[in-house]
Amino acid sequence: MMFSESQFDTGSQIASSPATAAASRDTVGLVPLTIKQISEASHSGDDKSNFVLSGADVVNVTIVGMVSNIVERNIDVTFTVDDGTGKLACKKWVNEPVDKLLMEEVKEGIYVHVDGHLKSFRGERHVDVFSVRPVTNFDEITFHFVACIHNHVRTSKDQKMQGNGTTTSDSLNSTPHTPIQNGMNGSKSAPSSQVSIPFSVDGLKGFDQMVLAYLQLPENYGNEKGFHVDELAQKLKLPKNKIMESIRALEDEGMIYSTIDEFHYKATSSS
Amino acid sequence: MDTSNPAVIVNGAFMTSYVGRRVRTVIQVVRADASGVTGRSTDEKQIVVKGHVPSPLTTFVEVIGVADSPQSIRAEIVTNFGDSFDTNNFNQLCQHANGDYRHLFI
Repeated sequence: MMFSESQFDTGSQIASSPATAAASRDTVGLVPLTIKQISEASHSGDDKSNFVLSGADVVNVTIVGMVSNIVERNIDVTFTVDDGTGKLACKKWVNEPVDKLLMEEVKEGIYVHVDGHLKSFRGERHVDVFSVRPVTNFDEITFHFVACIHNHVRTSKDQKMQGNGTTTSDSLNSTPHTPIQNGMNGSKSAPSSQVSIPFSVDGLKGFDQMVLAYLQLPENYGNEKGFHVDELAQKLKLPKNKIMESIRALEDEGMIYSTIDEFHYKATSSS
Repeated sequence: MDTSNPAVIVNGAFMTSYVGRRVRTVIQVVRADASGVTGRSTDEKQIVVKGHVPSPLTTFVEVIGVADSPQSIRAEIVTNFGDSFDTNNFNQLCQHANGDYRHLFI
């Protein structure tokens, strides 16, 4: 749904965005956030122009909330968005007639979806708006908050991995670590066996890794029936409940699958 | 920016925990009159809304205001949410917003 608006964004985005942000904007997409989360983001970078939340860069954000305090001036319109978790100032530069048309739809008391660049000016945070549109299907509000939670879960998972030291930050930055990015990367060049490597470290705990590594051993991978859960517990000297937890996690990630019955599992790829 | 006066996302059951606090919820309108609205929460509980309401009302409305009892809200803002709304999704969101992910909201 982010992309559905891109056709409207392009013009104003170029016109209204400062050159300094252009480089960093390439690195992350639009991040759905609650205003409470935005209030907790910290500054980063030498010029304090960048924001970081839970260790992840925050450049462009999506917020959804109710509009108030609209102030129109010659070259810009400012308004406040309240999403129930907090209030945040938004500013839309009005350069083109199309910007004016866009802002005519924004009225006091309505819900809007805002995409923009998070900025700080004299210590006050605000969103430099690329696009703003009224919410007409109110499930979008529920969806936005679910997206905020999802984004939070994903970034915390990445952080946990870095914390565990299962991978260096360099390799994290260079290897795609979301399924979507993986898919895109995979379609370019990487053979399927390589694509699975970032997956194999993605948020998996120690036990998960052990189970996966065992099933991926070339000699074990060759076993058509896979391995019985009890056998895994015995071989890896782990309690059966831990094995079952790992089996579920790995199955959810598509790393392994059940074979002849629900107790036999096999890796989807060899190591 | 200002996060000093949040409105907690609630369903009928979570109202109990926030009496005296600012809340927001979505209800299905059952009855409306001059004094307010009686509605059904997304977890099938009755909620009475007192205060000014827009006219006409759609099937679903969002209410933001102070919970003055576990079953009633003194409304600040009532917004029409249209005639179709996924109550199950909203109800699930309430669970998350009052559970593990509470810190993202309040």
